[in-house]
Amino acid sequence: MSTAIAAAVLEARDLGWRPASRREPTLSGVTLHVPAGQRVLLAGASGAGKSTLLRALAGLLDPEAGEITGSLSTPARPGERGLLLQQSVHALVAATVARDAAFGPENAARSRTQIADAVRGALAAAAVDVDGEASPFELSGGQQQRVALAGSLALAPDALLLDEPLSMLDPVSADAVHAAILEAAAGRTLVVADHRTARWLPHVDRVILLGPGGRILADGPPGTVPLPVAELPPLPRPAPGAEVAALEAVAIRHRGGREVLHRDLDLALRAGELAALIGPSGSGKTTLLRVLLGLEAPAAGTIRRPARERTAFVPQEPEHSFVARTVREEVTASPWAQDEAAAEALLERAGLAHLAAANPFTLSGGEQRRLAIVAALAQRPRLLVLDEPTVGLDDARLADVIALLDRAREEGCAIIAATHDARLASRADRTLALPARPASDRPVSREITPVPHPRRTAARACNPLTLCAIGLLAAIGSFGVSTWQIGALGLLPVLLLAPLAVPGWRSAALRLAPVLLSAATLAWTTALLSPLAPLSASAWLLGAKEASRITLFVAPGVLALASVDVTALGDALRIRLRLPGRPLAAGVAALVRTGHLRAQWERILTARILRGLGTARSPRVLASATLALLVDTLRGAEQQALAMDARGFAEADARTVALPSPLGRADVIGALVGIALLLWPWALRLMIG
Amino acid sequence: MTTTTGTARTRYRTIDLVVIAGIGAAFGVAFLGYGALYSLIGPLTAAFKPAEGLLVGIWFLPAVIAGLIVRKPGAAIGAELIAATLEMMLGGQWGWGTVISGLLQGGGVELAFALTAYRRSTVPVAVLGGVLAASLEWVWERFAYYPEMSWGFAIIMLGFFLVSGALLCGALGWAATRALAATGALDPFPAGRELAGTDRA
Repeated sequence: MSTAIAAAVLEARDLGWRPASRREPTLSGVTLHVPAGQRVLLAGASGAGKSTLLRALAGLLDPEAGEITGSLSTPARPGERGLLLQQSVHALVAATVARDAAFGPENAARSRTQIADAVRGALAAAAVDVDGEASPFELSGGQQQRVALAGSLALAPDALLLDEPLSMLDPVSADAVHAAILEAAAGRTLVVADHRTARWLPHVDRVILLGPGGRILADGPPGTVPLPVAELPPLPRPAPGAEVAALEAVAIRHRGGREVLHRDLDLALRAGELAALIGPSGSGKTTLLRVLLGLEAPAAGTIRRPARERTAFVPQEPEHSFVARTVREEVTASPWAQDEAAAEALLERAGLAHLAAANPFTLSGGEQRRLAIVAALAQRPRLLVLDEPTVGLDDARLADVIALLDRAREEGCAIIAATHDARLASRADRTLALPARPASDRPVSREITPVPHPRRTAARACNPLTLCAIGLLAAIGSFGVSTWQIGALGLLPVLLLAPLAVPGWRSAALRLAPVLLSAATLAWTTALLSPLAPLSASAWLLGAKEASRITLFVAPGVLALASVDVTALGDALRIRLRLPGRPLAAGVAALVRTGHLRAQWERILTARILRGLGTARSPRVLASATLALLVDTLRGAEQQALAMDARGFAEADARTVALPSPLGRADVIGALVGIALLLWPWALRLMIG
Repeated sequence: MTTTTGTARTRYRTIDLVVIAGIGAAFGVAFLGYGALYSLIGPLTAAFKPAEGLLVGIWFLPAVIAGLIVRKPGAAIGAELIAATLEMMLGGQWGWGTVISGLLQGGGVELAFALTAYRRSTVPVAVLGGVLAASLEWVWERFAYYPEMSWGFAIIMLGFFLVSGALLCGALGWAATRALAATGALDPFPAGRELAGTDRA
C-alpha cells in the first residue's frame, strides 16, 4: 500500500438513523456531500446529532443497534476514515504508546517491518512527544489525544473525522493537539465537530450548523453561517462572608510518591466566593483536591475546612456519584440531605423537575452535571468542591451550570473548582495556579519495544508460555504429595528457584503471603473437618500435608507469573498457539486497562464515601459502586469498540502481531525446570513414601 | 459490511468482544474490594470454613451478567476467564487454580445459556447457570482443595454452594443486569433493550 496521502469524498443522501432503544430518529433526512480534501466544521448544540453523523460518515453505524435509512458512501478499506473521540482514553488499546499506534496495522495483517515503519511515521506525524515504550494510560489528555491521532494515521486515512477532540483538554494541550491535527490533515478530507468554533474557523472551508435531528440549519463558508452565542449570566456580587476554608503553606506530593510537587500553597476562601484551581493536566490539581477534602494528608502545612457533612464534592464524571434509581431519590440519597421540600426546590431551580422520576444514568451529559451539583447542594454545604464541573459542556449548558453555582454562592456557599475552562475560571474571586511540570526536550524513541518493567528477573528471559507451563506442571506434580514429609521436601526446589522469578526476597514474600495464609487456613480446616478425630495429632499432620500440597500446587505458578506480562502473553498465544486474533486482542486491551479501572473504582468509592453513604466495606456501597463501575465500563466499551473499528478491528480475523514471541535457550531450561517440578514429588514418593 | 440475521449470532461485533472483556476486567477489579464481604460472615467461617460457600455465587457474576447481555456463545466463559486471569496476574492466592475455577464457573453458566440456544435472558436461566457453576466449582474444590474433608461436611458445603449459586449468581446477577439495562448502558444489545422493558422516547 502506498503511503501517499489521498483524500476521500464523503456522501450521505437522505440519511436517517434510529437507535433501536428509541422511538424517534436521532438523524433524519440528512443529505451532505463533502468533496475530497474539503475541511468542514460541524457546529450545533449538544444533542443535535453531530457525533452520530460523524459515526455515519466513518461507516460505523451498527445495523444491529438501530435502523439505517437512505444511502451513505462507505469506506473502501479498513482505516480509510480515521475517527477521533472526545475522550481519548477510550481509544487506547495497548500497554505502550508504540503498540497502541501499531493496533491498526496489526488489524490490517501487515508484516512486522511494515508495522514498525507505519508506527514510526504515525507517531512523528501526530507530534507524539513521549517514548514509544511509555504507558498511554499515564499520559495527560492532550498527549493521549495525539496518541489516538497517531493510531488513526498509522492506517494512512483519506479522511479524518474528529468528534470534539479538544473539549476535554486544558488550553495549552488543546493548542498542541489542534496544531497536530491541522498538520496531519494536510491533503486529507477533514470533518471536525466542535461546539467551540473560534479555534477552527480560520482553518476550515465550510461550516455546517446542525439543529435537532441532524437537520442542516445553515451551510456555507465561514463567516456566512450565523453561529449561536450563549450569554453567560452577569457576575454575582455576594457580600463577602466569614472564612470557610483555608490552605496555609501547604505542600503536596503525588500519591505514593516521595517528590514534593508544590510547596507554600496558600488560599483563603470566604462564604460566597468562587476559587478556581487551575493548571495543566498532571500539575497536581486532583491531588490538591484530595488533600483539601481530607482524603490525603498534605506533605506540609495546615488546612481548615468545614465539617465533613457540610463539605460536598462533585466528581468530574457525574455518573461516578450516582446511587439512586430516580433523580428525586438521588437528591436525597445522602444522609446529610434529607429535606424533601428543599430537594424539590433545587430540582425546580436546575430545570430537572420534569425528570424527577427518570433514572439518573439516562440523563444527558448536561443534565447529569446539574443533577450531581443539585445532589451536592442538597447537603446545604458550606464548601462545595468541584472537579472540572464544566468540561465538555457547550455554552448553553455551561450557562445553566454557572447559574446554579451563582445561586449557591448568593446563599453563602463557598466553591472551589479545579478547572481548565477559561469561561469558568474568569468568574473566580480567587485563583490558585499550579505551574506545569517542566517538559523534557530530549529526543524520543518511536520504536516498538516489549512493555518495560522496572525490575528485571532471570525468568523474564523465558517466553510467557514457558512460565505458564512451569506453573501448570508444578501444580500437577503437587498431587503426588501423600505425606507431610514429601510435601516439605517437595517445596525445597521451589524455594531454591524462587530468586530466579522475583527480583528479591521482599517481593517473593509479598507474593507468597496470601498463598501461605490460605495454606494455613486449609491446614486448620482439614484438622477440623477431616474424617479423623477433630484436632487430634494425626488430623493436624493430615492438615500439614494438605498445607504443603496446596503450597506446592500454587506457589510455583504465582512466582512464575510475577515475570509474565499480559501483552507478551497475548502475543505468544497468537503467534505460538494461533488463538483467534480478535477475542485475544479484546482481552489484552481490557487487561492492560486494569490500572485505569482501579483508578475509576477508587473515584466511584470516594464519591460515595464523601456523600456519607458508608465506608468501602459496606455491602451497599460495594453493590452500588460495582453497578457504577459496570456502567462506566459499558459506556466506555461502546466508545472503545467504535475507536477499534475505525482502526479496522471488525475485519481483523487475520491480524498480525508487531513483535515476535521468541523461544530460545532459556525456554529449554524453563521446560526442564517445569518437568523436574512435575516429577519431583512423585520421585520422593517412590523414595520415602 | 452486510450481515445477515443467520450469522449475527455467531459473528462477534467488536462491541460484543469489548463488553465481554470489559465486564470481566471490571469484576476482577471490584473483586479486590470484595474481601471485606468475607469479614461479614467471619465468625461463622472461623468455626466452620465451608460456610464460605455461602458467598461463592458472587464470583460467578461476571459470567452470568456477560451471558445475559451478550447472549452469544462464549460470552459467559470469556468474561469469567478475564476476571480470573486479572485476579491471577495481580497475585491472587490460588495461582493457576483461579483460572481453572474461572473456566469451570464460566463453563457452568455458559452451559445454561447453551441449553436455551442463547435465546433467553430470564431468571430461570440465570439461576440454572448459577447452580451449574456452583456444582462444577464444588467438584473442583473437593478434588483440588478439600480432598481430605469428610463426605458429610463436603455435602454440607455443596448445599451452601448451590444456594449461593442460585441466589447470588442467578437472582442477584439477573437483578444487576436489569438495573444496568435501566441505565441505558445496554442499549446496543437486544437483551438490554428487552430487559429495560419500555422504550425510551
